[in-house]
Amino acid sequence: MFNTKSVDFIWLVLMGLTLLSAAIAESPDQGLVLILVITFTVAYKGRMIVDHFMELKDANRLLRNSMRVYFYVIPGMIVLVYLFPELIARLTTLH
Amino acid sequence: MPDSIAPSPQAVIPAKNHIPGNMAIWVGILSEMTEFALMFIVYFLAKVHNPEFFSEGPLRLNTTAGVLNTLVLLSSSYFVIKAIKSIRIGRIARCQRWLWYAVAMGALYLIIKFYEYHWNSERGLATDTDIFFTVYYYTTFNHLLHVGWGSGAILWAIMGIRMGGITQHNHSGLEAVAVYWHMIDLAWIVIFPLLYVLR
Repeated sequence: MFNTKSVDFIWLVLMGLTLLSAAIAESPDQGLVLILVITFTVAYKGRMIVDHFMELKDANRLLRNSMRVYFYVIPGMIVLVYLFPELIARLTTLH
Repeated sequence: MPDSIAPSPQAVIPAKNHIPGNMAIWVGILSEMTEFALMFIVYFLAKVHNPEFFSEGPLRLNTTAGVLNTLVLLSSSYFVIKAIKSIRIGRIARCQRWLWYAVAMGALYLIIKFYEYHWNSERGLATDTDIFFTVYYYTTFNHLLHVGWGSGAILWAIMGIRMGGITQHNHSGLEAVAVYWHMIDLAWIVIFPLLYVLR
C-alpha cells in the first residue's frame, strides 16, 4: 500500500491532476464547475509542493504561511475574474 | 562516494520550525514570487479588458507542449526532494543521481519550450500578435530564464557534493537550491492553467 503522505504518492497525484487539467483545456465549454475544478487543482498542487516538496509543513511558520497564502489568493483571483470580469474592468479603467 | 558505502545510521532530521536552506534564499524566493504575482495581476487585468483575445488565445497554443512541460517540472521537483531525502541518510551517490535526473528534466523543459516557440513562429504567433501573446511570451520567457539558471544551480550543488562541500551533515546549500527549484515549479503551476487552460 502507498503511504499517502509519501512524496512518491504525492508526485503521482500531481501528475494525475495535470492530466485532468489537460482534459479540461480541450473542453469546448468551460462553465463555473470546470473553473472551480481548475482553481482547486492549482490550490491543491501549490499546497502539496509547499508542504511536502519544500518541506514547509513543519518548518518556519512565517515562511509556511506566506507560501500557503499565495495559493489561496491566486486561485481566489481566478474565480473573481471569472465571476466579475466587467466589474473588475470598470474598477481598473483609467479615465 | 559510491553508494555501496553503508549509509550513516544517524539520519539527519530537520528540526521543527527550521528554515529550509537559509534566510538569504528565502528573500530571493519571496521576491521572485512577488514578481510572478505581478505578472499574474497583469494577466488578470489584460484579460478582463480584452476577453476576446484571452478566450481565443489558449486555443491557438500547443497544449501538448504545455502539459508535457508541467509533467516534466513536477517530476524534476520530485527528483529534487528525493535527492534531499537521500543525502539525509548518507546516500550520497543516490542523491547525485536524483539531481542529475532533475537537471535532465530542466534541459528537457527548455527543449520543449524552444520547440513550442518554433511551433508558434511557424503559425505566425509572435509577441505582437495580440495582447494575449504579449502576456504569454513575457511570462513564459521570464519563467524559462528561471529554469535555465535553476538548472545551473542544481549543477553547482552536484559539484559541491563531488568536491565535499555538501555532505550528509552539512547540506543547507543543497536545501537552498532545492527550495528555489520548487519555487520555479510553483510559478509554472499557476502559469499553465492561466495561459493554456482557462478561456
